[in-house]
Parts: sequence; structure tokens; C-alpha cells
Amino acid sequence: MRSPLLLSLALGCGWLFSPEALVITGNAAGQLGWLTIPLLALLALLFTVCRQTINSSRRSFADSSELSILQQSIGKIPAASLTLASCFPLLVLAATALLVTSGYTFNEVFLYWFPNFGFAFMLLALLTCAQFLPIKYLHRLQFCFVSLAATGICILGIYGSVTPAKPLAEILQQPQQLSATTLSSALLLLLFAGSNLFQEKESRFSPVPLIAVLVFMFWIFASLAHVDAERLASSTIPYMTASRKILGDTGRQIMGLVVISGSCAAVTGLMLLCREKITDLASQQLAPQFLATRGQRWLLPPLVAITTGSCMATGLAGDELLEILLKSALLLWLLYYCCLSLSATFLLKNKLQTLPLPALLAPLLLLAGWLIIISSSPHTTEILIFISSSLVASTCLAAFWFFSNPRKKDTP
Amino acid sequence: MKRILLLLSFFLFVGTTPLIAGNVPTMSKEELKAQLDSKQTVILDVRSGRDWTSSEFKIKGAIRAPGNKIAEWSKTYAKDQTLVLYCA
Repeated sequence: MRSPLLLSLALGCGWLFSPEALVITGNAAGQLGWLTIPLLALLALLFTVCRQTINSSRRSFADSSELSILQQSIGKIPAASLTLASCFPLLVLAATALLVTSGYTFNEVFLYWFPNFGFAFMLLALLTCAQFLPIKYLHRLQFCFVSLAATGICILGIYGSVTPAKPLAEILQQPQQLSATTLSSALLLLLFAGSNLFQEKESRFSPVPLIAVLVFMFWIFASLAHVDAERLASSTIPYMTASRKILGDTGRQIMGLVVISGSCAAVTGLMLLCREKITDLASQQLAPQFLATRGQRWLLPPLVAITTGSCMATGLAGDELLEILLKSALLLWLLYYCCLSLSATFLLKNKLQTLPLPALLAPLLLLAGWLIIISSSPHTTEILIFISSSLVASTCLAAFWFFSNPRKKDTP
Repeated sequence: MKRILLLLSFFLFVGTTPLIAGNVPTMSKEELKAQLDSKQTVILDVRSGRDWTSSEFKIKGAIRAPGNKIAEWSKTYAKDQTLVLYCA
């Protein structure tokens, strides 16, 4: 794919159009009403500021990967640990959750007789095989998944917005208690997971947050115009409830396609993110060298497929624990992004001899959201245990490789 | 040839999975519809986690009863009641 903008969109929007993101948006719309739209715009602005800070920092230094920014501020092993912990658990848990959801959707919307788990495993096998395609074709495939999902959401969103089932005053009615709305607002931060995949350091513009606002603006309005806020807030599949109300059975089928293509986009995007991170780690001597080249293509996707397949086969999808683990993995990614953005801010400060205030405020606000999500969750202990054990495990792995690798002495 | 055989085995596995549950007494939806208003009939949704959250099909009035906690909830119903369990 030649256009960096389209590539950036295709890779960064994977998670954004996944059914998981649609649940977060739908529930938030039910809690916050139309205020979800300006709030989403504000969060998108925070991510844009963070991205610009990271890109400015990358432009300022010769060796400019995200990993090297982190390394310069927190050290090699903590940087490697945070990088590993932020993407691998997320990939495996998100793949388990999303593929199972796709299986159910395929079974309930398209073919009743086809077993949902059979479809989930088939999709996992196909997405793993896709990873062996030349990268140019894989990027095109990812673009197709993302475009299909975005088109479906836009069709339903625009149609639902121009044919509201309620008067405008009712749509704009404001609900709810403060505690619930604060949590919903913070949860919207999780929509941007994986948006750091493929960001040209030369580019000053990151399209992912803007696209999130544009697409979800219509979708949120359409959902509120057709479904009661209380129902949206409490539903586990608000996207399906809204699409059925908007366009009946056709709406369900369009949403079915969105769910399946969105899941494929999220899994492929996260897989590419992990591959990119592994390449970075290997090139910094923090992972085996063969992983910097073709080795990772042959090793990583089958490994992830086996882990995800085992999670599905052992019934993790049918366990409440999966939701807690997935949320923890998303929070770990958010923590990584905050640390990366803060590191970039302090590197810039050293270079410019002045602290850029918006660059400092944006990651601090993201961190505040991170804390709100953790503290208001009924599973705070489990989340903290998961985050700390992931960090410890990845630190051990990174430290083992770093200290057992003889080439570490060559690196500065 | 080997690949074709592997592929065929996969589809055979996927296609025959429902047959494994063939010995469990089942009830048609017409039979269930006829019993919906009866106080003797209790509909239990035994799905949990994502199996339940991702599904669009939930019978109105069904009680959630996780399949892995059958020993706990089974004691709460009288023996003469008809318990209808569904998981898909």
C-alpha cells in the first residue's frame, strides 16, 4: 500500500471498529447521552497531542523507534518489559474474545447450523495463515477489513441519524449519576488501543483519533435516536440492538459483517503491532536476533494461534475472568502509551530546555483516566495482579535474554 | 492430497460436533412455547462469560444459571418442576 495515510488508518483503526470498541461506545452513549460525542473528541485530542509529542521526539533523535524513546528514560530492561507486556497479553486475550464473539454473530445472524466455535477456530486459522502473506498483501487485507467495518458502521450511523425514531429533544435528554458517567468517560480511552501501530515519524497528523470521532459521531447519534439510553447502557451487545432497531434484519446483517470484519481487523492489527514490537526489541538486542528478520513471521503467528486456540478450547471464553483479563490487558497498553508519551515529553524538554505544557498534560490526563478505571472497577485486585504479574514475567524474559546475550556488550 | 484430507477431517469435525450431544433429552421450540406460561417450567440460561454476553438470543424470563455451578442452583428447584436448560 503506497499511501502512508491509508496504511496508518488501516493499521491504527483495527481495534477501533471491533465489537469490543462498539460495546464500550454503546454503553457510554447510554450513560452519557449525546455528551459522548464531544467527550470522544476531547479524548481524541489528547491522543493526538501524545502522538505529536512522540513523533517530535522521534524526529529529534537519530535512533527513533518508540522503544528507544522509552529506553532513554526508563532503561533497557524496563522498556523491553513494558513493551512486551503491553502487546502480547492484549493480542491473545483480544483474539480469544473477539473470535468467539464473531463465532456467535456468524451463527446467530448468518448460519444457524454452523457451530459458533467452529467458525471462531476457522477464523483463527485463516487469520494465522494470512500472516504468512507478503507484508504488502497483508496490509491490503487489513485495509479491506477496516474499510468494510467502517463502511458498515457509517451506513447504519448515517441512515439511523437521518431517520430518528424519537424527537430531537428526547435524544438530547441528559441522564445519569456522576459515578457511572465518570467511569464511562474513562472507559472511552480504551477505544484507542493499538492506534500507535505504524506512525510515520515525519507525519505531524495522526488520522486515527479524527476517524474515531467522525465515524462514532453518527453511530452514537443513531444509537441514541433509536434505542432507549437505559437499554444501551446495560446491553452486552448494544451494537446489535441499535442496528436491529435502525434497519431491521438488514441492519443485523450489516452489523454481522461489521463484527466479523472488525474482529479480523483488530486481530490482524494487534498481530502486526506485536510483530513490529518484536522486531524493535530484536534490533536493540533485547530479543533473539532471528526475530528481527523473517523468523518472527514463521514463529510468532503460530505461537499466538496455539495460545489463543488453547484459551478458546479450555473454555476461557465462557468464563467471566476473560472480561477482567481483557480489560487489564487494555489498561496495560494504556499505561505503556502514557509512559511512552511522558518519556517523549521529558526527552523534548531536555532538548528544548523548556517543558511543553500540553505535551505534559495530555499523558497525565490519560493516566488519571487509567486510575479512574482501575479504582472504580469491582475487580481492582485482579486487575492489579494481572498487570504486575505480566510486568514481572516480561521483565524476567527481557532480563534473561539481555544478560545471556553476548552481543549486549557491543551496544552503547 | 494430505492437505485435502486434513481439510476434510476439519470440516467433518465441525459438521458433526452437534451430534456429540445427541443423547441429551431435548425439547422443540414448539413444545417449549406451549409450556412458557406454566409455573412448573423454569427456563435456565446456562451460558456464562462471553457465551452469554455475545449472544443476541436470550429467552425472555430465563434465569441465568452458570453451567459450572449446577450443584448450587439445582437444589433451589423442586423435583417436580421441569427445568429447561439452554446454552445456544
